[in-house]
Amino acid sequence: MIRKAWGFLVRDFLIEVSYKSHFVMQFFGVVFSVGIWFFFAAFLQDHLSEASGVLTGGHLFAFILFGVAPYHYQQVSLSTFAHRFREEQVTGTLEAMLVCPTRTPLVIFGSALYDFMFTSFRIVLYIVVGIAFSHFTSRPIQIHAAGLPAALIIFTLLVTTSVSIGVMAAAFVMYFKKGDVLVTLISSASALLGGVFFPTSALPGVIQPLSRLLPISYTTDGVRRALLAGETVGGLRAEIQALLLFAVVLLPVGLMVFRMALRGARRDGTLVQF
Amino acid sequence: MRGAALSKYTQPVSSIVVEDLAKTFVKRRSLRESLLHPFGKAERVTALDGVNLQVEAGEIFGLLGPNGAGKTTLLKILSCLIIQDRGAATVAGHSTRTQEMRVRSSIGFVTSDERSFYWRLSGRENLHFFARLCNIAPAAMRARCQALLDALELSDKADHAFMGYSSGMKQRMAVARALLHDPPVLYMDEPTRSLDPVAARHLRELIAGTLNRRQGKTILLATHNLAEAEELCGRIAILHRARVRRMGTLAEVRRWALSRERYLIEVTQADGFAPYKFAGGTVEADGAGILRAELERGGEALTHLLGALLARGARIVSCTRQEASLQEIFDLAVGEAGP
Repeated sequence: MIRKAWGFLVRDFLIEVSYKSHFVMQFFGVVFSVGIWFFFAAFLQDHLSEASGVLTGGHLFAFILFGVAPYHYQQVSLSTFAHRFREEQVTGTLEAMLVCPTRTPLVIFGSALYDFMFTSFRIVLYIVVGIAFSHFTSRPIQIHAAGLPAALIIFTLLVTTSVSIGVMAAAFVMYFKKGDVLVTLISSASALLGGVFFPTSALPGVIQPLSRLLPISYTTDGVRRALLAGETVGGLRAEIQALLLFAVVLLPVGLMVFRMALRGARRDGTLVQF
Repeated sequence: MRGAALSKYTQPVSSIVVEDLAKTFVKRRSLRESLLHPFGKAERVTALDGVNLQVEAGEIFGLLGPNGAGKTTLLKILSCLIIQDRGAATVAGHSTRTQEMRVRSSIGFVTSDERSFYWRLSGRENLHFFARLCNIAPAAMRARCQALLDALELSDKADHAFMGYSSGMKQRMAVARALLHDPPVLYMDEPTRSLDPVAARHLRELIAGTLNRRQGKTILLATHNLAEAEELCGRIAILHRARVRRMGTLAEVRRWALSRERYLIEVTQADGFAPYKFAGGTVEADGAGILRAELERGGEALTHLLGALLARGARIVSCTRQEASLQEIFDLAVGEAGP
């Protein structure tokens, strides 16, 4: 299985680097994005003395940085399975893979692997570039090593829940040939209600409870408190438990829906149709 | 292709057995249809209906039929991409319904779809990727891919992007990919469709010579190309409107197609002989000493006809039995089932 996973990684890396300028521009894109958030935050920070109390760590740039990073990861987890499956269907390579002695779920997970690896790399880059930018100010971002285990657990649970939903989206694409409705809905709701760019306390009171229905809310809050305020697993028990609950419910549901869709598509003869 | 050394498969044990296979597709209704006719029934299309066939180990079996006959559905069921509604199919002794991975380990699929490769990768990179999916160990992978590239005369361009390959090279790549894990059974779906005559001939030689005769692969060949089927296949099945209309060796199918034997007889001094009718058949003449006879089987009618010609003082220069072409057989089988 590891050999096959490596094969997918090598394949996608080679395809990616074959588009040389695009590949290079992605790294510039990270610097530009971080730069935009940095200057945006710098501009607003001075006017935020009142509100800085609700920002974990009191630092708007760090707040955005550690909101966008998990949000990006969630985006990839949600969309990459459906996107890659669809791409392989449309380009005509799916059938060639599915007649090989490799299980269909591995084909789909393998096809998404590069996106996860590259996004992980990009997020690390975001954070490194972001911290570097912050050193040009009087208040450089300080990462609290004590919070790293909690941040890692929270991140892993977010990926698990998002992958579960992403697998459901792939199942929708497999069976109904469209799955982006689910992904678009969750992505948009996460960006608006998940505390990615601004604290959820800024939302109107009636809407605020809705944010607690989204895994990203617990993640952004938890990751910031862990890395920017140094809170440990004990202090973030509530967030971890909530994410664990999402994962425990969504993972089996996602896998079950996927299995049903796969069987349905094989029964209907539409597995490689798009 | 120096192919004999490429195969570990020397004692063929594989075969394909299809018993009473049936598959009906239900066409999904559009939202508009569902709204306008909420209780209307979805359209059903029968792709296979009680199909039985057996492909012996080491033979080339032709699957013929017009578009929509059910050939692709059958190949997809035999590749575990589609689940049948009824019946059973086994490949190399493994059930397509319950032993998916074993079936896939036993087959190689040669498709004519050029888009089934990654165009931005080289031929070698493509083969390496699919070799991993075919469970080939890394230590053996490079050597195996190189051997196939050499054997299929692709080595020169192995490190060039696939997108720059000619149609013939792309098709040879499809063959190389299907052979990666040395499966005993090969499915070939219109393998020469996009090839020029020379490349098509080379591929046919590869199929018949190296893959079938030397390596003993069982080959299931789906094709529209009747001449190709005639050249390559020991047995054929004609599929039309979801059913096997005729199946057997070419000789068996020909016997079915023509209830009478056809002869072309070249004669001299037989003026006024034809048209000639007798209990055993009929004779027509073209006016240039060529008689076309349609006679009852068994030889007695031919003896009678030749005797009658000799009795009238004719000299018989030659007498040739004419076989029904596969096209005639195909037309007959398809026509019998109706439009």
